[in-house]
Amino acid sequence: MKLTELFDKGEFVVTGEIGPIKGAINRDKSIHPTCAKEARSLHGHVHAVNVTDNQSAVMRLGSLAASVALKQQGIEPVYQLTCRDRNRIALQSDLLTAYSLGIDNVLLLTGDHIQLGDHKEAKPVFDLDSVQLLSMAMGLRKGHDITGHPIENPPDMAYGAVVNPNFEPLELQLLKMRKKIDAGAEFFQTQAVYDLEVFETFMNEAVKLGVPVQVGLVVLKSPQMGRFMNANVSGITVPSMWIEEIGSVDKDDRKKKAAEMMGNFLRQIKPMVQGVHIMPLGWADVVPSILETAEISIQ
Amino acid sequence: MHATIQKPIQEIVKYIKPGEKVFVIGCNNCAWKCHSGGVDETKMMAERLARRGIEVVGYTVPGPQGMSLCKLDHTEKVLKEDFADMVAKADSFLVLSCGQGVHTVIDATGGGMVHPGCDTIFGGETVSTTDIEEFCSLCGECVIEFTGGLCPMTLCSKQLLNGPCGGAEKGKCEVDSERNCGWVMIYERLKKLGRLELLDPYQKPKNHAKWSRPRSLKVSTTEATFSSQAGKVTVSNQE
Ligand code: SF4
Ligand code: SF4
Repeated sequence: MKLTELFDKGEFVVTGEIGPIKGAINRDKSIHPTCAKEARSLHGHVHAVNVTDNQSAVMRLGSLAASVALKQQGIEPVYQLTCRDRNRIALQSDLLTAYSLGIDNVLLLTGDHIQLGDHKEAKPVFDLDSVQLLSMAMGLRKGHDITGHPIENPPDMAYGAVVNPNFEPLELQLLKMRKKIDAGAEFFQTQAVYDLEVFETFMNEAVKLGVPVQVGLVVLKSPQMGRFMNANVSGITVPSMWIEEIGSVDKDDRKKKAAEMMGNFLRQIKPMVQGVHIMPLGWADVVPSILETAEISIQ
Repeated sequence: MHATIQKPIQEIVKYIKPGEKVFVIGCNNCAWKCHSGGVDETKMMAERLARRGIEVVGYTVPGPQGMSLCKLDHTEKVLKEDFADMVAKADSFLVLSCGQGVHTVIDATGGGMVHPGCDTIFGGETVSTTDIEEFCSLCGECVIEFTGGLCPMTLCSKQLLNGPCGGAEKGKCEVDSERNCGWVMIYERLKKLGRLELLDPYQKPKNHAKWSRPRSLKVSTTEATFSSQAGKVTVSNQE
């Protein structure tokens, strides 16, 4: 099922996210990787689950293998594909492979830089940027590769992109967003936001572009995590108010608190957007209560 | 200019076999500016090697200040005419310059054994006598007309052509919080120039065949021909 069909129907689209394990999928299926367990606890509460592509440039199980594994279990994946590790030949080939294996939704991104990950001496590829990648994906849909050669049985998938509402200057980020839309982006998932005002300012502009936006939420699990993100994760700011609030309860009560905080925040944002993308970072089990607090349920 | 930095002496010493006689050659242009292979550093290198028990048969930095070691006809003349005796005695040449200069010495000595004394790190602007900074990655297909002269292939860590990634924070790159985001710099500059519209058009992927190695340039006073895996391109400077 393509997410674009849901947006077209006017549904509030809910997606979650899992990060593939650092390792392979067990062949006799006797051990279930943690990411599969997380995906299962999201099942029924979200329309689809993003599968990250060597997230933070940390080498892991491929996003396509994990996406296909989810699909086989009846969970709709959003296959993430980045420019960091693949040149244009590999990117196109992976898109054809993804479609051939039943993938319906792809999120196309530049990818975190290699210096952020665990293989710092690797050669960064970045043959294309995300705008060029989107444009190339549209070409495949129309039946030709990036050099203009015709392809058989063109793949037809929904293509999403990302945008960071926290970016300063915002005008520059909006320029990139516009270019992504012109290139073919059909929906957006945003970087994690915690500031209502910042997000409102962004949406006031983004809404004019007429493409569905899912607000991105990273579940804040502890004050330590908030401080860590502020110090180490570029492009995300966690206000001290959030850090204090999650720190105001005992460890054992943090899941409940996080669900309440994220849920209340989402309830305020809900009228501005066409969906939400929740990144639970291992706390997939709090997603249902976040959605419940925000008064969101999927069809 | 080609920015170079000397290799640690411990590493250089390891290149030289026991009993090997060495001639040290510097460069009076880029390596001189980098203090990696000018007149002083070349003389010093000869002394540093000698102190470590290595037999140095001679040293030179061909030509006056500003003369590049990589100018083959000049280097060849100096080595063959002015230093013929020492060169004849040398088993190898330790070259304090960029990799182009090292190759020039191979050519100038009829295929002599060479040791690189420097790491060649980038092509840069001599911002001051103590500061050399990289603004171009020599990609073979210049795109900086639409970025106000600031190179996204060099100043953006991901070499993005259609605008920034989402990672910059407070104007700094996601890769290094000490370094300005190339795209924020491009934006600020074009805004100041009142030319932000330059950023609007879609920029197609780069032709990496023009960034193939090795490339060559044949020149005359009226035209130049650039050869790469993208083919030969001849451009006239007369029309
Ligand atoms: S676009 Fe290429 S040629 Fe132009 S400044 Fe950048 S690296 Fe150099
Ligand atoms: S933060 Fe800026 S310079 Fe760094 S990779 Fe992103 S766009 Fe390029």
